[in-house]
Amino acid sequence: MTDQNSTAEPGLFDVELLLKQARAYLAFGEQIRQFAEQSPDAGAQPPDWDTTLRQHFDRFKAAVAQSTEDSNADPDLARLWTLTLESWQQAASSLGVSAIAPRADQSADGWRAYQQVQGEYLELLRQSAVAALDLMEQRLRERAAAGTVADSLRELFNLWVDCNEETYGRMLRGAEYSELSGRLLNALLGCCARGEPAS
Amino acid sequence: MIGLTSERITEELRSFSAKLAQGGQTLRDLGEIETGVSPREAVYQEDKLTLYRYQPRVAQPHPVPLLIVYALVNRPYMMDLQEDRSMIRGLLDAGLDVYLIDWGYPDAADRELSLTDYIHRYIDHCVDALRERCGQDAINLLGVCQGGTLSLCFSSLYPEKIRNLVTMVTPVDFHTPDNLLTHLIRHVNVDLLVDTLGNLPGQLLNFTFLSLSPFRLAGQKYVDLTDILDDAQALRNFLRMEKWIFDSPDQAGAAFRQFAKDFFQQNKLIKGEVNIGDRRVNLGNIVMPVLNVYAAQDHLVPPAASKALAECCGSRDYTEFSFQGGHIGIYVSGRAQREVPPAVAAWLLAR
Repeated sequence: MTDQNSTAEPGLFDVELLLKQARAYLAFGEQIRQFAEQSPDAGAQPPDWDTTLRQHFDRFKAAVAQSTEDSNADPDLARLWTLTLESWQQAASSLGVSAIAPRADQSADGWRAYQQVQGEYLELLRQSAVAALDLMEQRLRERAAAGTVADSLRELFNLWVDCNEETYGRMLRGAEYSELSGRLLNALLGCCARGEPAS
Repeated sequence: MIGLTSERITEELRSFSAKLAQGGQTLRDLGEIETGVSPREAVYQEDKLTLYRYQPRVAQPHPVPLLIVYALVNRPYMMDLQEDRSMIRGLLDAGLDVYLIDWGYPDAADRELSLTDYIHRYIDHCVDALRERCGQDAINLLGVCQGGTLSLCFSSLYPEKIRNLVTMVTPVDFHTPDNLLTHLIRHVNVDLLVDTLGNLPGQLLNFTFLSLSPFRLAGQKYVDLTDILDDAQALRNFLRMEKWIFDSPDQAGAAFRQFAKDFFQQNKLIKGEVNIGDRRVNLGNIVMPVLNVYAAQDHLVPPAASKALAECCGSRDYTEFSFQGGHIGIYVSGRAQREVPPAVAAWLLAR
């Protein structure tokens, strides 16, 4: 018996994963660029930048909230914090459960119940994303107080990632997330059970 | 305030977009991405399982074969990802005769495969095949992650067939406070899941693993990728890992049902309450020498979950090896190549 080791065509790499995150990074950069345009000079006194920073992060959070209510408002900005939901919806879609409407052979009640739980899940993610922006604002204040400035946009992006991982990690480890994520999967399965199980 | 001007940010975004556009050509020019680099031959097959022997790299390999039992989750080529990142090559270089079970890809026809099948049938048949082939009463067993848990069960049930047992990043106590996977599966209706889907889809497993750190694993990673889009070698390394991450076989329904309920949800292994078929798994029966390798920064199998073995196995020759890295780094990092295979081989060759 002979063996052929595994090979993969480069096409198997989902380039869309790269492009989606690239677009999200560009959206993040646009947010920061707007802030830089409005920000006082580096030599400005604390009350000036303090106010500017607060106003900017208030707008950033408002943009996040808007993307919750209408994901088409700024899909690339929304993608910055809905990675988990997007990944979940892909998994759900592979089981034949659409995020948009029930299939003809699926119970509308089961699908609506699932959507209800998914809405709760999205809200939990949104709270974590807002908490991450609060944390990032706090970290920027601390850095400013220490006289530290960012060298690059990427450095700020990495700070934003760290803040999201921190607030998300706290949420993930909480009892509420454990209960809700279990309920989400159970509700999804409820949809499948009323339709045709995926093979 | 942030030290960046609008012009500077615009320039950085322009540079990022340019790298992205140029990287497309590098991706197209890469050709085949190979995973699993060490020469090997299939020596036994049963259903979708294949038992491989890796070509020895010394003239006289050690007479006692080493059987690697990988997890049912993900694919075992992580142990042999590329020439300079291969735990298997390190073991071969140290003079060991290395075999590995490839479980294949379960499909709908395998939904009734249970842990009884995996342990009493598949692992047992592979162990017997090697005992006969090599003329040994007992062989060396190396279980990886979930494969380590299966190896513990097997070694408890058939201690006479195992000379030395190595467990690597293996959960034993599933209810340590830092066990995120247990935390996530706690409220899942496992019976509903298996009754509905038959097998557990690999894509659901992928979601679970990515959801542990989504901003790094599904976001930042791809932004950082643009930095190496002009480096074909670095890109190949990235794509090998990427392929492995998303190469997730479905899990046979019956086996997943028992593993999720008995091990994750009810922590029966450490309580001595797991039954495989009609036989009870008693970790106290594990009296052969044991080397327990864990990763100090493991986010999937916390060290405490592995180290619990010390208190419940029956071996008087129990050794721990702590690797300073994480659950993936223990296979593929440069440090792992330098430290882990030599330590495992030295421990085995001394016994």
